[in-house]
Amino acid sequence: MITARAGLRLVQQRVSNLRRAVVAEVEDINRLIYHVLRGGVVVSVAILLFGFVLVAFSGQPIPESGSIPPRALARPLFTFTPEGYLSLGVLVLIFTPVVRVFLSLVSFARERDRQYVLMTAIVFANLLVSLVLLA
Amino acid sequence: MSIAVLLILAVAAFLAGLGGSYLGVGGGIFLIPFMTLALSVNIKVAIATSLIGVIANSSGAASVYVRDHLTNLRLAMFLEVATTLGAIAGALVGLGVPDFYLYVVFGIVVLYAATTMARIRETAKERAYQAGEEAPLTKRLKLSSVYFDQEDQGVYRYRVERPVAGFGVSAAAGLFSGLLGVGGGFIKVPAMNVLMRVPMKAAVATSNFMIGVTAAASAFIYYSQGLVDPGLAAMVIIGVFSGTNLGTRLLAHAKSSNVRFVFALFLAVLGTAMVARLFLPGVPI
Repeated sequence: MITARAGLRLVQQRVSNLRRAVVAEVEDINRLIYHVLRGGVVVSVAILLFGFVLVAFSGQPIPESGSIPPRALARPLFTFTPEGYLSLGVLVLIFTPVVRVFLSLVSFARERDRQYVLMTAIVFANLLVSLVLLA
Repeated sequence: MSIAVLLILAVAAFLAGLGGSYLGVGGGIFLIPFMTLALSVNIKVAIATSLIGVIANSSGAASVYVRDHLTNLRLAMFLEVATTLGAIAGALVGLGVPDFYLYVVFGIVVLYAATTMARIRETAKERAYQAGEEAPLTKRLKLSSVYFDQEDQGVYRYRVERPVAGFGVSAAAGLFSGLLGVGGGFIKVPAMNVLMRVPMKAAVATSNFMIGVTAAASAFIYYSQGLVDPGLAAMVIIGVFSGTNLGTRLLAHAKSSNVRFVFALFLAVLGTAMVARLFLPGVPI
């Protein structure tokens, strides 16, 4: 009788451990996505605010310009022109969802969920297609 | 752009972020008419700027909804396949289309959204899990899920219905997104809620999660065309981000039906204004 009870307790413990592991795993992915999305916006806003500080120091009105393509961005960044940092902040924001999709891809691959790996890969490929159009 | 105009834009973006995070829309549907009508920004620049705002809204609000387990990540991934394909097609078409048609399409779409939002209702009884078979695709993709509602502290299980139809409507939503620079949430939320029977709050959170990716696909294309004005975009990002911070906090516990009605009214006014602008003589488009 005691052994049966001990056995039952062992099984219960195993189940609760397993459940905790599953919850932690789900929590993990949710948390990671939360931090990536949140972090992307916060970093973008920080860079943009720095851009506005540069505007204030330059004493000139906020520049009206088109978007600077990524490959032409190095020079304005090194010379600390406001347009450069404002463009960088915008780019960081646009790239945030791309990073999120990539992380989803990794997490589905780790779960060995083939259907969702395929779907996420298609979404990622679509983003890359429009990214190629950007470059 | 004068400082005053930029500050007005930031305030408008704040309101768009506040409303957008609550309704699961990107907020572009408010920003584009505001920029073109009140600030006389060129519509293509307005669309590009709005797409940036949509991403800020999605990343800011969706992060919170994901953390609070309102978002259905699998459903989002499934529908994103459709929305990103639609968005690329939409952005490519949008760049070659005369502005006149963009106004017409935008006016019609806004008015459609207004009527849909006014019609949507959701009671606790409707939210309860009802017996029935899952669609084969829903079962295969494990789309059905649960969510926790803070308003009444209840956990609700739901079944996703008509996945194929939802996929098709999402492709159309993506097309509009690329074409008009909106998140397409006003199409996705009704599609998920009415068509696929996803509870309202889960639909809002899932839509909010998806619109960032959809908008990113078309934002790249607009950015490459030099249509994103960094100064305008920066103001919109900062405004929207502050708005979503307040929106997700303030409205987590709120009742949605009243606010939804006001929103529908607001959309109806905007849609009418956009269409009316076409017939006003002397207004440059």
